Amino acid sequence: MALMTTAGCWNRREIESIGFVLAAGIDEAPQQGKIQVTVQIAKPFAIGGGEAVRGAADEKPFWTVSSTGYTVFEAVRNLLSQSPRRPFWAHNRFILIGEGLARKGIRDALDLFCRDGESRLRVWMVVVKGAKASDLLQAEFELERMPSEGGMGLLQGARQGLSTIGEGMLNDFLQRLEGEGIDPIATRAEIVPRPQEFDIRGELKRETIGGSARLTGAAVFKDDRLVGWLNKPETRGFNWVMGKVRSGIIVIENPREEGKFIGLEILGARGGFKPEVRNGKVTVAVKIEADANVGYVQGFIDLLRMPEAWSSMERRMATVIENEVLAAVAKAQELGSDIFGFGAELNRRYPKKWADEFRDRWDEEFRKIDVKVEVKAKLRRTGLTVKSSEIR
Amino acid sequence: MREVEGGKVSGRQLAALLVLTRTMAVTMTFPTAAAVKPPQDIWIVTLLGTLVSVLFVLLVARLGLRSPDKTIIEQAELLLGKYLGKLVGIVLVWYWMSVACGAARELGEAYTVAIMPETPVLVFMVATVFLAANAARNGLEVVGRMGESILWVVLFFAALVLVLPYDQMRFKNLAPVLARGFRPLMLPTGTVVSFFLEFIILGMILPYLARPRDATCYSVYAVLASGLVMTWFAVALVAVFGPALPDLVMPAFSLSRMISIANFFERIEAVTMAAWTLSCVIKLALFLWGCAVGLAQVFGVSRYQSLVYPLGAMTLALGILSFESNPALQRFLRFEVFGVYSLIITVGTTAVLYLAAFFRSRLPLGRGLRR
Repeated sequence: MALMTTAGCWNRREIESIGFVLAAGIDEAPQQGKIQVTVQIAKPFAIGGGEAVRGAADEKPFWTVSSTGYTVFEAVRNLLSQSPRRPFWAHNRFILIGEGLARKGIRDALDLFCRDGESRLRVWMVVVKGAKASDLLQAEFELERMPSEGGMGLLQGARQGLSTIGEGMLNDFLQRLEGEGIDPIATRAEIVPRPQEFDIRGELKRETIGGSARLTGAAVFKDDRLVGWLNKPETRGFNWVMGKVRSGIIVIENPREEGKFIGLEILGARGGFKPEVRNGKVTVAVKIEADANVGYVQGFIDLLRMPEAWSSMERRMATVIENEVLAAVAKAQELGSDIFGFGAELNRRYPKKWADEFRDRWDEEFRKIDVKVEVKAKLRRTGLTVKSSEIR
Repeated sequence: MREVEGGKVSGRQLAALLVLTRTMAVTMTFPTAAAVKPPQDIWIVTLLGTLVSVLFVLLVARLGLRSPDKTIIEQAELLLGKYLGKLVGIVLVWYWMSVACGAARELGEAYTVAIMPETPVLVFMVATVFLAANAARNGLEVVGRMGESILWVVLFFAALVLVLPYDQMRFKNLAPVLARGFRPLMLPTGTVVSFFLEFIILGMILPYLARPRDATCYSVYAVLASGLVMTWFAVALVAVFGPALPDLVMPAFSLSRMISIANFFERIEAVTMAAWTLSCVIKLALFLWGCAVGLAQVFGVSRYQSLVYPLGAMTLALGILSFESNPALQRFLRFEVFGVYSLIITVGTTAVLYLAAFFRSRLPLGRGLRR
């Protein structure tokens, strides 16, 4: 009997009455002081696909709709005047932020996504470079019918294959925002216009794809304001320091032949840093160990008979890594944003010194930090050939 | 003496009841998370609080073992005389009542905040309190057995929630340890202890233990076990949320929302809610039972069962009326309010009873008064 009272269908929601939000974008609205929220909602009847539902493929399986309001919350609620189904946020994968809004600060825009019970802290934070988030939400991908799936695919690919994605979930963002001596970072996306060179409408009668998206590094924040960008090599430099590099290609010059290049595939890396204080000056020692395979060789090299070439390639690999790290550090220092958390680490190691000497003037101090990079690069294998084919 | 309650529970059942009582309250709102600044030292606070609480539980158990066939309420009457003793009894019953209404409201709030925001909080409270009252009417033995079996379910769920967000854990967040020394941790330690003071209910269960001697060791086990679970929670929460932890209303719930294994094992927060609901029902049943039996003993009512439903209704009413909002509930659970309130009532009554016992054993007059 008691169970009957616990069944609770008070605010039941039938699945037919909700629309699953796949990605959301936040921008400044054209009207002064207003916020524009754009959501991409799945069209369940168009997903069906396969032979069973012929004709389903004609339609885009998603719908993109915008609305405005003075707060994000109001804008989201205003969607109800256009969407016959109530937006449901639990499956949202992305929060896209337009560059314009990001430069002004996004703490307030994020509040709803932390407070609301449907949205999750695992959503990815993406900043759209040079455009509005609503524009990016029009992007489509050839291999995925659902853009949010496509976006996840890019993200996984760039994270695992290229290591060009920083720590960019909402949870990471909030911690970096609230932590001392560390600043937030998000994923940077750009819109790729796709002028159609030829008609791609074949069996799949979906509309021609007008634009696609690309993930091109990281967005750097100071507090909650966007202050600049890391490009892909710089983002990998950031990831070397954080120990988050999983894979990627390092290109070095062939030590035996000028103007010819060798591609090394990163197998894995460990990285970390240690801040030290000497005479009131902070130095950071970054230590990186990286393993790689020889994946591609231009020109001739016989790695069995040329051990000195092997170690020279390792040295060149170490130099590339070091340069990437230094580029990332230089960019961060130029932007004045401690994305590495040097300050936070200083606080962990020397809490007293941090509180007494550095906390209040960390912004200037960070720009002056001397970063030393020590790289141990190791080459392990050469693929299925040990020497290049010789032309005789 | 009239037997108000005839059941018997084992030491393990006692421990299970106490662990559920303690872990439910804390994992739901995790009041220490908001109290500790900087948050990374929560686990130290929790451990310290646990150790301090062992002392308190030992005191309560020793007091009970002075006359192992009497509840703390009957003892109060014996030691303090009829009127003063009954007064202490009523104060204790009132305290258990407030614990119960806090727990009921917490669960109701958890449901409304996190899952069904449009449903009135009363709906959830009625359901749980009704279930708990039915259990309490069936006696301590039933509650004890329920507790023993539910404990494993709850611990399993807790382990799930504590281990599975491993990909989001950054144990770096735990440093620096004790950045500002022990001083700022004193008050939060009080918060941890204040919830352990609910264990004064042990004085009520003790005479119904199959072997009253078990009370000491099993209640200490219970304190240590709940302390460990909570420390584990503290570590996991700091590792996952770091400096953003104090923002959260229900950190453990948010923790379960962070779980995502291979993109398909996710959204398992229902598991957390289930664990909380189960332990809340047990906690409510235990405290409603305590209130009813206590009240029956104070007023010499022969059947405590008839008091359970009215007390349940009062719990509901108080649970609704005492806190006008969720932040009001959160403020109530802070050390400055609930902590001090618990401290005064529980430590106060224990101290008074010890003092009375001390004087009774010294003065020849005291011995004569003993029935």
